[in-house]
Amino acid sequence: MTTTIIGRLSQAFLLLLAMSIIGFAGIHSVGNPVFNIVNVETATPEDIRRATIALGLDQPLWQQYFLFLGNVVSGNFGTSYIYHLPAFRLVMSKLPATFELAAIAMLIAAPSGVLLGLLAGRRKDTLLDRTILNSSVFALSVPSFWLSMLLIMVGAVMTGWFPSGGRGETVALFGVTWSFLTASGLAHLALPALALAIPNIALIARLTRSGTVEVEAQDFTRFCQAKGLSPRRILFRHTLPNISVPIVTIIGMQFGGMLAFAVVVESIFNWPGIGKLLIDSIQLLDRPVVMATLTFVAVAFVGLNALVDIFYAVLDPRTRRSA
Amino acid sequence: MKTETLWAFWKRPATYRVTLPKLMAVAYVLLAILASVIAPQNPYDPLQIFAWEASSPPGTVSGGGYLYLLGTDGLGRDILSTVFYGLRISLFVAVTSTVLAALIGMSLGVIAAYLGRWADALIMRIVDLQLSLPTMLVALIAIVTLGPGVDRIILALVIVQWAAYARVTRGVAMSEASKAYLDAARLLRLPPWRIIFRHLLPNSIAPAITLIPIELGHAVALEATLSFLGLGVPIDKPSLGSAVANGFQYLMTGQYWISLFPGLALFGLIASINFVGEDVRRRFDPRSL
Repeated sequence: MTTTIIGRLSQAFLLLLAMSIIGFAGIHSVGNPVFNIVNVETATPEDIRRATIALGLDQPLWQQYFLFLGNVVSGNFGTSYIYHLPAFRLVMSKLPATFELAAIAMLIAAPSGVLLGLLAGRRKDTLLDRTILNSSVFALSVPSFWLSMLLIMVGAVMTGWFPSGGRGETVALFGVTWSFLTASGLAHLALPALALAIPNIALIARLTRSGTVEVEAQDFTRFCQAKGLSPRRILFRHTLPNISVPIVTIIGMQFGGMLAFAVVVESIFNWPGIGKLLIDSIQLLDRPVVMATLTFVAVAFVGLNALVDIFYAVLDPRTRRSA
Repeated sequence: MKTETLWAFWKRPATYRVTLPKLMAVAYVLLAILASVIAPQNPYDPLQIFAWEASSPPGTVSGGGYLYLLGTDGLGRDILSTVFYGLRISLFVAVTSTVLAALIGMSLGVIAAYLGRWADALIMRIVDLQLSLPTMLVALIAIVTLGPGVDRIILALVIVQWAAYARVTRGVAMSEASKAYLDAARLLRLPPWRIIFRHLLPNSIAPAITLIPIELGHAVALEATLSFLGLGVPIDKPSLGSAVANGFQYLMTGQYWISLFPGLALFGLIASINFVGEDVRRRFDPRSL
């Protein structure tokens, strides 16, 4: 068990190292950030030289990389070229907004997806089942940016029920600001959370349905029926625990995926999280922030998956015994 | 997953059912190929565009005499024509990248299975690591590294997709590699590349082929998303994704048609591909989702 964990961790570490090299080399080939900082029309060669030295871009590439790597290990990604703040702190300051959005989206998606999946699996091959299955294909086919725009069109422009962007009023709690504690913040959360949740509802529903169909065909379900247990009790006390492992996996993975996919939803809803920060930084060639954001999302995702693996043991005694 | 040789799949009696998604997928391909013939306007030709007719609502009659069936965008381009031309770029990027990714992924999967040892370890570690990250993250890293442009986005999509084919193909090839006909090929002293590509590959790729429609749907969606974010195809020749992006700023003023119709076309395209993919997958592996 320990060796597998160590193996997994070193693999993840190698991945991150390889990614940092590729990303670092790539972002250097894209463009010179100096031209985004100085005014191209009025800058003298002297200005450009001074800006280059100030950013440390006059040193050889490999030296810049090792400097960068050494700093990364100590949580220092350099200073943002645009905001003049430490890049990692900038990412961290945007994290609560993204986390809050993803958490609310998952709170919508997980229960409704599981419920729809149980319902469809229970009534396999009925009209209800086919409706849920087909709508899930549609839900998974909608590009998230277009879905977000439709939600804005219907929920904000046409009806005016919800605001079309921004975070609304925030309240500080534990030294971080949150939107979900105020009415205005909740209203601002509704549309982007729904945009993130809809594809996940479909995914979770499909997985739950196929699991339910499989478990319901097994002997113990028939035994429970013979014992006279109510269908609801069988569904929630016997079927659901037996399909919980794949569901938890997908919820964990999708939560990590939301951190990555939030890029789209956050840009559209003008939600000041790490996704919007990433896109803005790519467009402004703000190299330290791009690297810090990508590294953070990758590390968060790898860490989340490891957590899910450990959580298996809690849910499924069989994995505990074999381990 | 049921293993089945490509040949057996080909020879299987046709149980073909014409369904709406299949018809739609064929129609989309035809529209993309015939875009320049059937589109009322060439949206890339400034001479055919009348800037003073910008943002006309659907149904407006153009000064040039024809009807803007779906309205015009902020630059005066006919939306219907933009959709046809955008479809062409979206499909071109998605199909090219999917085919390339399938070829590369299948080949590397077979090579990993046949050579074993360090080649296997190297290829499969990359596959494992890549498949453990969300596709959107891999795509973003790739596109940030490669920069914008049609060729770059195809490359980025190939990087995102090849790993899935490699993993599936390698699994099948491992079990094929121990079979007698491969021992026979080895005893004949055939060169390794010939054994890999003429004997092992054709017998190992059937399950991976069922991935193609699903991955094609992903490719269309991913290209559209990257283009929407301004990281994909250049803005002067918009794909469906960038056509939707063009309309975003007009959404707030109620000019819904600029982004609604290209988005609808995109949604229909992805949905029809996904339904076909679902059908294919169900035929081969009834137990999957």
